[in-house]
Amino acid sequence: MKWNKYSKTTWQAAVAACALALTASGCASGSDTAATGQRNGPLVIGASVSLTGDFADSGKAVQRGYQLWADSVNAKGGLLGRKVEFKIVDDLSSPTQVITNYQNLINQDHVDLVFGPFSSLLTVPASQVAKRYGYAFLEPAGGGPQVFAQHLNNLFFVQPAPSVRAGDVFAKWVLSLPADKRPRTAAYAELDDPFAGPIAESIRTAFEAAGIKTVYKQVYPAETADLSPVMSGIAAAHPDVLVSGTQNNDAYAQVKSLVQLKFSPKFVFMSNGANSPLEFPDKVGAANTSGIMSSGDWYPSSTAAGSAEFAAAYVKKYGGTAQQIDNSSAEAYACGQLLADVAKKAGKIDNATIIKSLHSGSWPTLLGDLGWNADGAPTSSFSLVQWQGGKLLPVYPAAAAQSAPVYPKPNWGG
Amino acid sequence: MHALIQGVILGVLTAGVFALMASGQTLIFGIMKVVNLAQGAMVILGAYLSYQLFTSFGLDPFLAIPVTTVIMFALGVAVQWLFLRPLKKDDRSELSLLITFAVALLIEGVMSITWHTTYRSINTGYANSSWSLFGYQITLVRLWAFLLSLAALGLLYLLLNHTRFGRAVRATVQNPESAKLLGIEADRVSALGFGLGAATAAAAGSVYGLLYPFNSGSHYDLISKLLSIVILGGLGSVGGAVLGAVIVSTSSAVVAATISPAWSEMTFFVILIAILLVRPQGIFGTTVRGAL
Amino acid sequence: MTRLRGAGPIAFFAVLASLPSFNLAHWTINLLIFTLMFAVMSSAWNLVGGFAGYPSLGHAAFFGIGAYAEALWFSHHPVSSGYEPFLLLPAIGLLAVVIGLPVGAVAMRTRTDVFAIVTITLLFVVQGLAFNLHGITGGSQGLAIPPAPFPAATYDRPFYYVLVGLLALAMAVTFAAMRSKVGLSLAALRGDEDKARGIGIRVTGVKLLAFAVSVGLTAMVGAVWAYYEGFIYPQFAVDPLITIAMVLMTFLGGRATLWGPVLGAFILESAQQYLAYQLGGSQVYLIAYALVFLLIMLLLPRGILPTVQDQIRRRRRRQALDSGSPTLTQPANAAATAGGGQA
Repeated sequence: MKWNKYSKTTWQAAVAACALALTASGCASGSDTAATGQRNGPLVIGASVSLTGDFADSGKAVQRGYQLWADSVNAKGGLLGRKVEFKIVDDLSSPTQVITNYQNLINQDHVDLVFGPFSSLLTVPASQVAKRYGYAFLEPAGGGPQVFAQHLNNLFFVQPAPSVRAGDVFAKWVLSLPADKRPRTAAYAELDDPFAGPIAESIRTAFEAAGIKTVYKQVYPAETADLSPVMSGIAAAHPDVLVSGTQNNDAYAQVKSLVQLKFSPKFVFMSNGANSPLEFPDKVGAANTSGIMSSGDWYPSSTAAGSAEFAAAYVKKYGGTAQQIDNSSAEAYACGQLLADVAKKAGKIDNATIIKSLHSGSWPTLLGDLGWNADGAPTSSFSLVQWQGGKLLPVYPAAAAQSAPVYPKPNWGG
Repeated sequence: MHALIQGVILGVLTAGVFALMASGQTLIFGIMKVVNLAQGAMVILGAYLSYQLFTSFGLDPFLAIPVTTVIMFALGVAVQWLFLRPLKKDDRSELSLLITFAVALLIEGVMSITWHTTYRSINTGYANSSWSLFGYQITLVRLWAFLLSLAALGLLYLLLNHTRFGRAVRATVQNPESAKLLGIEADRVSALGFGLGAATAAAAGSVYGLLYPFNSGSHYDLISKLLSIVILGGLGSVGGAVLGAVIVSTSSAVVAATISPAWSEMTFFVILIAILLVRPQGIFGTTVRGAL
Repeated sequence: MTRLRGAGPIAFFAVLASLPSFNLAHWTINLLIFTLMFAVMSSAWNLVGGFAGYPSLGHAAFFGIGAYAEALWFSHHPVSSGYEPFLLLPAIGLLAVVIGLPVGAVAMRTRTDVFAIVTITLLFVVQGLAFNLHGITGGSQGLAIPPAPFPAATYDRPFYYVLVGLLALAMAVTFAAMRSKVGLSLAALRGDEDKARGIGIRVTGVKLLAFAVSVGLTAMVGAVWAYYEGFIYPQFAVDPLITIAMVLMTFLGGRATLWGPVLGAFILESAQQYLAYQLGGSQVYLIAYALVFLLIMLLLPRGILPTVQDQIRRRRRRQALDSGSPTLTQPANAAATAGGGQA
């Protein structure tokens, strides 16, 4: 069962008492309007990310992306001559703390702008606070349907497409194949999660409409440690294509289980987990990755605007190789790129300008060109990526492809 | 039918490792009347230690067990000595729930700093080997895990039934007052008993790490399962814990294979509530709560 | 003493009620809202866990039931003035009472440690249902509640006043219980349930009453929380750590006292929210939290209030002795103190 592991903080009762005293006395100077900040001081951007708790690893990746962009823009003399500073606070992966944090950032610290947290689960409550005080809300990691169902005009999801559409590129590619090469039967294994499951469901809708028969479908909860019952069900159904709505860990477990069952479908698509360049081969064995498909918005060899500069700066600052960069860092960095572009185009930077500017036109980022509808849902699409020879390469659509898709999928390496 | 039998096979093979974890927990309860909410965290710590030995020195998890059990035994003794011994007798049962929960958080905190929150798994060379038997899949790793758990349980049985320490433990479980009259030092037995519980957690952790990916938060999933097992079998009864583990693992594997994994965890909670309605003391629990 | 007992609560609530008129910053009210939520819930938990001595770990299930009831009702009914979700609270409290009675009747057949485990099992069952009954709860996709149409300048205030009201209710119930036969019965069954039954106390009725009222209050807080969050997910609405927080706050302040849970909530929740913001990201959170937790349990096993009260009484007694007052009355006083600390 699921426990939400946000760590409650408590220092000594004495410190607590001080905090209380502060709360009771030192805050009679309330201010109701979003401060626009001094024109010549630094431009302060507030963001709450998960540095502890469930989303900690991804949250830290987002933090790195924000910070990296700030460094690069400051190295070029700042934004419109103002130095960019981030105030990043920890939300413990808790939806309660995230409200407190954006309240504090906006009303206590009077930051000039805010960026989003990690995960739709935290983005929804956070974007409501931002909306209430008229802040633009660029967010790199909240793309669930709930986010756009709020119909907020101040919100912009900085990825190529809403999360549930991330796998549509796979359906598009499969259906572009000649009829005799297409799969006839499909199986779906979906994690019960606001993002992973719906990606597979969206593909299923497209496949069923095109006459690809569903021979197996199973939804499993997040705490399922053992996926072998599900995978043996799939092996027994013997589908041509396996579509997995996965997050990370469950993707590794699925592959391991299939290898043990010695069942290798002709096509395998996994929504997440399989697109992590370092972890995936490490967890399932490099020989077993061959032919597995996933989708992505950024990859080390991308040629989109600022991509090479980002990868180089990242490796310089944090070490490692470009292969090790988490997509969340790239998406967070893209939020900054957008700000810089707005500033350049409009000649000023404030919340109203950002909201007005981004609602029209197409904006180049390292994730490709981005544009949004009225609810902040992005309108382009992800690329199809495939493991070939131990590398994760974009294979479709042709414009972004660096290699041709390989199918049927080679057998497991063992 | 095929799915059902496959589920039963899987359930029974998995039951071994849970029986091992639960036997430690039920032992601690039997001796000290303490429900140890940190048992899950100690299992995961055992898994991490085993992971570290494997990645740093290439030591197979099965061979790592002697090392991890000794470390965890010492840790268990320390926890009992530092945090549980000072409790007054009247509020021990209530306070110990909170204390052991705090210990679980402490262990989780240390683990999340040391190994971060990404999931780890121990990938041995034989991790993906499997046999097919009459059309049923049996993975090598699971079979190994099962045999190893049986061996550890066997050792525990010998320890409890054929050593002086074992006799002292059993006397304390059955009747702490008369055990004291027999000259058994309750404090020492408690400390050693807690250590023993931690050591079984370490052994179970090595096996667990081989079977499943884990991170510092995984102990939350474990503890609810463990609690169900020990209550089901009757708190304090090692035999009951083994039976409880078989019931819980098999029912959840069968439900996962035949209905849906989504309902599998609910199954044993429902079984637990049903059993408590009929027998509030669990299957093997007696009103005096004792028999080993 | 008696005179002061009346003045204390009045002053406390007068301060609470007037705080927003000082034009407090939004983040302060926001902090107070979360603190008040836990103050109400700890007070509610105290009725069962403190007075009756049944350490429930399943209260978060009822928090979740309240949250889902609120969200479900308003996914079919519009929110126009913004006050409708608050008007629904009594009905939600009643619903939780209705669900809580049979649950309590089953669970309270067991005692302390087993009761704790049975109730935490209940929590997981409710969480599992929230995940699995997609058709009703939306499963892992969660449920939205329309945002309140309050103006940004005073957005938080209605939530704040409703919670102050709930806290007053919870404390009034506690006070009434302490002053009535119910309180005596609870203290008796906490001491020794079988003996209490033996001397003719209607044990089952009294403990069920405590459980029902307690979960009813908890569910109402859950409903307010859901409305304030605007969106609920199973893992956050039915969260074991909410239960743990209630327990810890009550233990910290002092079990089976009127003010203990409130004090505990004000210290822990405000400190957590504020310090997490100020010192965010420090990895030692969990460790520091666990250590403070352990220290409280080991050094103040009875909680702050009872310990401090004892200290004061002891000092007074010493002063009284020093000033040479009649010593004859002392033993009687001491006995009363010893009894009063726990009851």
